[in-house]
Amino acid sequence: MKTMTRLGLLACSTAMLLAAPLAAPLLAQERPLRLDEAAVGEIDPAKGADYADTVLGVNLYEALVYPKQGAAGVQPWLASDWTIDGLTYTFTIRDGATFASGNRVTADDVIYSFNRLMALGQGPSSLFEGRVDSIEAVDDSTVAFTLTEAFAPFLAALVQLSVVDSKLAMENQGEGEFGEFGDYASAWLSSASAGSGAYMTQAHDPQVETVMVPNPNYNGAAMDPLAPDEVTYRYSLEASTVRALMGRGEHDISSLWLPPEVLKAMAADGTVHLAAEPGGTGEYIMLNTQRPPLDDVHCRLALTSAYDYATTLQLLAVTDDMAQGIPMNGALPKGLYGADLDRPMPSQDMEKAREELAACQYDPKDYPLDIAWIAEVPARERLALLMQATFTQLGMDVKVTRTPWALITQQVTEPDTAPHAIEIAVSARTPDPDSLVYNMYSSTVPHTWMSASYLADDEVDGYLEAGRTETDPETRAQIYRDLNARLRDLAPAIYAYEFTGVYGIRNGIEVPNLEEEGKLYPTSGFSMLFKDIRVTD
Amino acid sequence: MSPVLRLLLQRLAISVLVLIGVSILIFFIARIVPGDPARIALGPNASQAQIDALREARHLNDPIVVQYGWFIRDLLHGDLGTSLYTKRPVAQDVATYFPATLELVLYAGAMMILLGLPLGRLAARFQRRWPDHVARLLSVIAVCTPAFVWGVILQLTFAYIWPIFPLEGRLSNGIDAPPLITGFYTIDALLNGQISTFFNAVYHLILPATALALSGIGQTARLTRSSMIETYRRPFIGMSRAYGFREDRISRRFAFWPSLIPTLTILGLDFATMLANAFLVERVFVWPGLSRYGVEVIMRKDLDAIVGVVLVIAAMFLITNLVVDLIVSIINPRIRLAERKAKA
Amino acid sequence: MSAKSSSVAWTEFRSNPISILGLILVVFCIALALFADVITPYPEHVGPIGDFTAINQAPSAAHWFGTDTIGRDLLTRIIYGFRLSLLMAVLVLSISMPVGVILGLLAGYLGGWVEFVLMRLTDIFLAIPPLVLAMAIMGFLPATLTNAMLAVTVMWWPWYTRLVYNVVRSEAREGYVLAAEVIGASSPHVMFREILPNCAPAVLTKLTLDIGFVVLMVSSLSFLGLGVQPPTPDLGSMVADGAKYMPDAWWLSIFPALAIMVLVLGFNLLGDGLREAFDAEV
Repeated sequence: MKTMTRLGLLACSTAMLLAAPLAAPLLAQERPLRLDEAAVGEIDPAKGADYADTVLGVNLYEALVYPKQGAAGVQPWLASDWTIDGLTYTFTIRDGATFASGNRVTADDVIYSFNRLMALGQGPSSLFEGRVDSIEAVDDSTVAFTLTEAFAPFLAALVQLSVVDSKLAMENQGEGEFGEFGDYASAWLSSASAGSGAYMTQAHDPQVETVMVPNPNYNGAAMDPLAPDEVTYRYSLEASTVRALMGRGEHDISSLWLPPEVLKAMAADGTVHLAAEPGGTGEYIMLNTQRPPLDDVHCRLALTSAYDYATTLQLLAVTDDMAQGIPMNGALPKGLYGADLDRPMPSQDMEKAREELAACQYDPKDYPLDIAWIAEVPARERLALLMQATFTQLGMDVKVTRTPWALITQQVTEPDTAPHAIEIAVSARTPDPDSLVYNMYSSTVPHTWMSASYLADDEVDGYLEAGRTETDPETRAQIYRDLNARLRDLAPAIYAYEFTGVYGIRNGIEVPNLEEEGKLYPTSGFSMLFKDIRVTD
Repeated sequence: MSPVLRLLLQRLAISVLVLIGVSILIFFIARIVPGDPARIALGPNASQAQIDALREARHLNDPIVVQYGWFIRDLLHGDLGTSLYTKRPVAQDVATYFPATLELVLYAGAMMILLGLPLGRLAARFQRRWPDHVARLLSVIAVCTPAFVWGVILQLTFAYIWPIFPLEGRLSNGIDAPPLITGFYTIDALLNGQISTFFNAVYHLILPATALALSGIGQTARLTRSSMIETYRRPFIGMSRAYGFREDRISRRFAFWPSLIPTLTILGLDFATMLANAFLVERVFVWPGLSRYGVEVIMRKDLDAIVGVVLVIAAMFLITNLVVDLIVSIINPRIRLAERKAKA
Repeated sequence: MSAKSSSVAWTEFRSNPISILGLILVVFCIALALFADVITPYPEHVGPIGDFTAINQAPSAAHWFGTDTIGRDLLTRIIYGFRLSLLMAVLVLSISMPVGVILGLLAGYLGGWVEFVLMRLTDIFLAIPPLVLAMAIMGFLPATLTNAMLAVTVMWWPWYTRLVYNVVRSEAREGYVLAAEVIGASSPHVMFREILPNCAPAVLTKLTLDIGFVVLMVSSLSFLGLGVQPPTPDLGSMVADGAKYMPDAWWLSIFPALAIMVLVLGFNLLGDGLREAFDAEV
């Protein structure tokens, strides 16, 4: 035993001695890029739903159209141009468009991808649900969608239809319920990419990281010569870990969800600079319009008047000129149709709050208020407690609960048991306001975290349907402005602030889409194109 | 049939029974939770038709006893259902993440034995003198401190303030994982002759394995000390003193070996504790193992995956105890089942 | 096993300085917990309250242990954390200990199929590492204080069953038991009046040790986010929440971590002292 012990110790100490000089990573690549995201990455574009999934989707795949850089609307992407003739949208696929596998991108691939998305029924499929009557290949590189009725948001929604290499997918499909398409390669496409984006997966582990390398057959929008030659997208790192790794030069771009003081401390170290991705995301404190006392609009207006907007913004400040939020004056974030920048920003008015409360049919003392906050975003506890402090001044009995996101998604399906108020960030998934407000406020959508206000208002429904069928841009904008005004009067949510993503970026890395004027793609996540990022050291 | 073999078969049979019991326990707990498992599995956007289809496919409309039958049938086919978290088969996830946890636990186990036994021997040899007091205090502090506290303290000291060890992960960024053979990076790297990868993996193992091992080291030291002290009271120690053997030799040869057996039987339990504590340590060091997966699936109420993780850990625990039994009965054939039970 | 008289045990206990240290730590922690309302500088910081002007302040004269991410005094919250931890430990053990002891008595004394069923059931529970089982139960239930205690209670009783069972098995052949049986004493009488008192030293010792271990278990659960929910001050969740702000705000997790260490250490040293004093095998 003694000899064993000695040997063991010897082995350990030798290992430590030898390991020390090897600690510096032996980089095989010249320009690696390392980023992280709080959530788990889903690389199948038909299943993706949140921010990380969008970032993966836009880098691994191409959609027919893309949000317009620095402006509203869409621009050509995989489709070089298109024509709209009544209900028929016809797209011409870019000349020479090729998948990473070397297969040419054809109309059949678009059809396969669309049918696959609708058959799996997850992710962005709800954007098209019931709207497309038929889809057919006019020729090899021309594809035509025919809609069931006028649907103005259709073109914008196509930014979420990633085109999958159907030949490769069908070679790798497993058994499943979709007849000749098996499982629609559902298992395989969750482990590898099959797209025409600038990058392709080299390895993917949903719990750890996705490693991506440039797609040798890429022929889309130009790639920066200093673009990374290997991208590692890591999942679920702690804020403290990211901070330390960045200080050591072992990490390049942080996630959006770091607490402001961690971002501030990183920036103060001098090795990291900050960049913001504004726009497209509202922070809504959803008010449960089905549960007393908040089923009375006066009680809701009391809360929106009492909310402390100024302190909220102070709590979001990172540095003097950078904050994780900006004021918001209605249901629509700026940059979308109907956002009304001329209106004054809301401010706390306790006087008005008391008047509204007096007009409310309920005595607030009889109805304790449940406020939940999402456990995964620690900074939200502050806003929940801020609400508790202010609403208590109105004589309400307020209870604050930390709730994991997974549990919230279940709770919100039942309005009777869902919390009275909960802060949820909702992003427009496409450059069209419909992708945001329809899912939030239409009385026809199922109860999800996006619709946790459970609003059922005929006037709102009217505007939402009109916004879908009206195709004239000016008239549409007016419809959404009217809707916005109605939503201010109904107060189904406290429009707390507009979320601004703040990234910590290691010096030596440049992200022109965020840092240069007019280069932002205004839909959340679409600016994170790795092909445009420069690794300069 | 040799007595050792018979003993082993007997234990094996009991272990299988216990494992079946565990599967019943965990299956029924998973099924009595409020809420429809199909709705939970499909997420909030699912349509009623999708939910009905899944209920049909997963036999959720059958009586619960029949459901358990289906569950066992699938289990025997290696089908543990699909994870809601990774959207992959649970069996595949378990196969991917378990080796990382096992590697961490085995290295911690090795540290526990290599450091705990000598520390306990030292304490017993100098009983009621200062090395004993120091060793006892150290080991009791080690035992009393949760593994996550050790993780946080070690990380703060040796990765943040004095950055000589890596913060997290199994390998440095830029070093590719060795080709998959066993899933243990250290072994796979050696088998492939990738010496630098091997050392990099060891280098990443040191902090988490230490955090995990500390309470086991304390526990082992305490047990070794107390069983050696018991052995010291035996007549043959006094006899060897009378024969004029040096104290060092008595401690090493005569008192230490007989004391190993009770210690060994407890090692199985310590190993179980480590499997559980890995949940805490992996969280601190972002270790991509089964425990971290377990925490994520528990947070997400991912029922199939929770059942899978618990079953695998229970099986691992039972296997360890079988191995310990085997070793004990080889070292000391006099040890009988009843004696071991009484000790545990 | 032979139980010594309590005065002999006390003399032996007193002679060991480490055991006395344990006793002092335990008394100190209990006193802090009992008088938290009086001792703590900012008792209102236990509740859902924030002082956004005093976020993440380093230790100072006004806040000995610094302030947390929403400006609350950390010392206050740690002391209330002691109260909560101890309360939970006492509640968990006051349910799991009697249940476990009674089942152990029944299994050990009655034997036969009762023994078989109970002990196999015990084996099943003991085949899953306690933390994993508690976590799994929490995975199926909402994360609340009550459920966390329930989960720990469910996995704790088998240890007492196993312990008492072993004691009973060795006691059952002792002369005094046989004598009681010969004079026709009923089974309940023999179990509860004759055998149970002889299990007391072992059970008491284990109970002391277990207070520490229950605290450890509960704080582990809340470290993983599966236990007590904010704003209730809990040591485990304080460590977990604070770890996000390392190394800049190190005090957020280091002080609660040390507090857990002190609390568990106290009960462990005390339990060890009792074990040696009573010569109990646990």
